[in-house]
Amino acid sequence: MTYNVLLTGVGGEGVLVTSVIVARAALLDGHEVRGTQLHGLAQRGGSIPTHVRFGRRAHSPLIPRAQADLILGLEPIEAARVCYFAGKNRTSFIVDTYPIRPSSCNITGETYPSNESVKRMLEPFAKKMVFVDASNICREKFGNPIYGNVMAIGVALSAGMLPIKKQSLIKAIKSTVPRGLEKNMAAFKMGLEFRE
Amino acid sequence: MENPEVLGKAGKKVVILGNEAIARGALEAGLGFSACYPGTPSSEIGITLADIAKNTRKFYYEWSSNEKVAFEACAGAAFSGVRSLTAVKHFGFNVASDSVFPVVYTGVKAGMVFVVADDPQGHSSAQSEQDSRFYSRMGMIPTLEPSNTQECKDLTKKAFEISERFELPVILRTTTMVNHSTGSVKLGAIPKPKTKGRFVKDFERYHSIKPILQKMHCVVLGKIQKMEKQYAGLNCIEGTGKTGIITSGVSYQYIRELGLKNIRLAKLTMTYPISRSFVSRFLKGLKTVIVVEELEPIVEDFVRMVAKDVNPGVRIYGKDILPRVGEFNCDIIMNAIAPVLGLRKPDFSAQDKWLKAIKIPVRKPVLCPGCPHRSTFYAVKKVLGAKPVFAGDIGCYVLGMFKPFEMQDFFLSMGASMGVTHGIEKVSNQRTVIFIGDSTFFHAGMPGLANLVYNDPKPLIVVMDNRITAMTGHQPHPGTGITAMGEKCKPIDIEAVVRSFGIKNVRTVNTYNQKELQATIKEFAGKDEIGVIISRGMCRLLYRKLMKSQGRKLPKFRINPAMSVRCAQHAKEIACPAIQREGSRVSIKEDMCWGCGLCAQIFPKGAVQPVAVGQASAKKGGKK
Ligand SMILES: Cc1ncc(C[n+]2csc(CCOP(=O)(O)OP(=O)(O)O)c2C)c(N)n1
Ligand code: SF4
Ligand code: SF4
Repeated sequence: MTYNVLLTGVGGEGVLVTSVIVARAALLDGHEVRGTQLHGLAQRGGSIPTHVRFGRRAHSPLIPRAQADLILGLEPIEAARVCYFAGKNRTSFIVDTYPIRPSSCNITGETYPSNESVKRMLEPFAKKMVFVDASNICREKFGNPIYGNVMAIGVALSAGMLPIKKQSLIKAIKSTVPRGLEKNMAAFKMGLEFRE
Repeated sequence: MENPEVLGKAGKKVVILGNEAIARGALEAGLGFSACYPGTPSSEIGITLADIAKNTRKFYYEWSSNEKVAFEACAGAAFSGVRSLTAVKHFGFNVASDSVFPVVYTGVKAGMVFVVADDPQGHSSAQSEQDSRFYSRMGMIPTLEPSNTQECKDLTKKAFEISERFELPVILRTTTMVNHSTGSVKLGAIPKPKTKGRFVKDFERYHSIKPILQKMHCVVLGKIQKMEKQYAGLNCIEGTGKTGIITSGVSYQYIRELGLKNIRLAKLTMTYPISRSFVSRFLKGLKTVIVVEELEPIVEDFVRMVAKDVNPGVRIYGKDILPRVGEFNCDIIMNAIAPVLGLRKPDFSAQDKWLKAIKIPVRKPVLCPGCPHRSTFYAVKKVLGAKPVFAGDIGCYVLGMFKPFEMQDFFLSMGASMGVTHGIEKVSNQRTVIFIGDSTFFHAGMPGLANLVYNDPKPLIVVMDNRITAMTGHQPHPGTGITAMGEKCKPIDIEAVVRSFGIKNVRTVNTYNQKELQATIKEFAGKDEIGVIISRGMCRLLYRKLMKSQGRKLPKFRINPAMSVRCAQHAKEIACPAIQREGSRVSIKEDMCWGCGLCAQIFPKGAVQPVAVGQASAKKGGKK
């Protein structure tokens, strides 16, 4: 079977790097891997949904509608934005509750939804949801919210939402983010130990 | 090194991007020379090759000033016996096209591959949803279409083989979902490339004049005919049934994903020339055929034509059920073909209802914090108001089309600001301001400027000189002073170029100095003559990267809370993403401030203060 992971967030949050970690780890586990990395205008604060699919029958680079197994939202409203890919009987959500207000809100005056309302948005699409303040925890611990991504992977693994061997993930983290490795490994461990 | 996996050992399996796989395929084919102009979704091909060329010095790579020049340079290398590749986005083909067609006539000596990346859906292109496959037929250019990352690598190699065997340039045509797809790729060996060759004079080969011209044309047609037979095996048929689906590119992967039963599925890998015998074989005995292709009905028209001869009774579906606009995915295809196949459409109506119900604030792309373009737009509007016609061009500054600036009244294609403005001025007598980026100036701006100067309209031209080609990921251009392979060189000075055209009112101004910038705009706008302001300030994102690499920090600012309310209106006028508004109060989000100082110059005196470095780090634990 194919396992479908959708990572999403805002340009500059490290979504692409996180997706590379997952993809490389899946490859180490012997899977065929498919996915997408849309670049485009990412550097200027746009959304970047990134698909990673592994297993024997993955052909399409995009996850088909309602077939995501895990949605890893590194930003709350970005998780809600990709609900097209989520299905009630299938999809688990891990959401980093670190909000990045779209700057267009400053002009349009739109309000940014609370965590509670994001939860309500996801509810009908989710088999399971874990909300974790990963970026803030990591910012306090390591001085940089970026490690929240790797922490979120740890959370996914310990919650049984990522069928990849722990050793493969560790190897993939080592090869993908060799700089700042110690902090990344510590963040990963914090993720593994996280309980809601 | 961007991604060392691309240089993995032969036999190794790696996960890489489609564009990286194309670069790897070129290396495996013995690439000796490459030149590109960046454009999403093709850019990472050049970025990867540039990076490898810089680090290994095993072949030559350059970022050329535009796609036409890049294509020509690659043709020159291939004429001289060195394998070459250029990669462009679809619009780049338009720019290069004038030279592409004759190179099919002259032919090439060494393999030459031309990667053309279309962007249905316009993920990263504003101008049109062009289907570049029309060019293949118009120019008689052999064309291969990969459907996934592995094929990106393998077909690049194959393209070199075909190119060299037939002495024709070969197109590798991709779409965004192929360029930016990732996937496991099994690597092959990289030979030592040939990087030096020799141009051999040959009158008959390089002079496409009549009567040689007609002879050449015949030769090309003969080659294409031969190729159609020899390479029909690149296409494949799988499955059996009375209903057939014929497809190519990423659509093939969508169809496979659907796992349809009792279908004869044909995949076209070579979409020019399309093999008539292959399509005939596919059509034999079928009752129904569905042609699944994004954008224009090119394969469909061909299938209809062949069907007339070999299976006139077959019912053919194509653009009558599938969209001609935007890109496909499994869902779109399934919805269109399910009724034909007698299958039930998946029912997502409940989900659709939910999706409609949730209100998520849009996240429009915005100029980075501290972007030099913001400062330029602000100054021009401050002095000239909203009334002039603001000619736009292609670059990060297109984002100036949105609120609060609304200062890109139109943009067509790179460099078009000049020509369009010329026409507007000649017939309307309106005041015009042209915004053009530095990379765009060198790409296609200069011919338009020459025409303006010569024919006497009087626009104010603002060159948004951020020292780099920013939007596509920071590639150098002739004004930058560094080559793609990392060598320092003499930058071409835009001010000197403009002066050499005979323009008197020319000045280079520091973008971040509002006082000077506004004064210059006022001065030049007051004259009844053409004026050019080179508004110079480095792309802030690039500047930030440079500072980081040197271990230095950007300055940061903050707003005095007591004066916060008085800043709100000004904040609205510059829309820096680092400045947040809550009710009537505004504040600077420290970790997003990239310290350009624009707000400090225009907010009420004393409202914005620099944050001392020590203070900034003490606030680390704060909420974002
Ligand atoms: C013919 C063509 N080639 C390439 C592109 C892709 N492209 C879009 S914006 C851009 C960069 C322009 O650079 P510059 O004018 O310096 O503006 P900046 O992004 O640096 O602000 C490029 C290359 C295009 N749209 N059309
Ligand atoms: S990348 Fe550079 S030029 Fe583009 S918006 Fe950001 S700062 Fe401005
Ligand atoms: S907050 Fe002010 S100084 Fe900081 S980036 Fe924005 S405009 Fe520049």
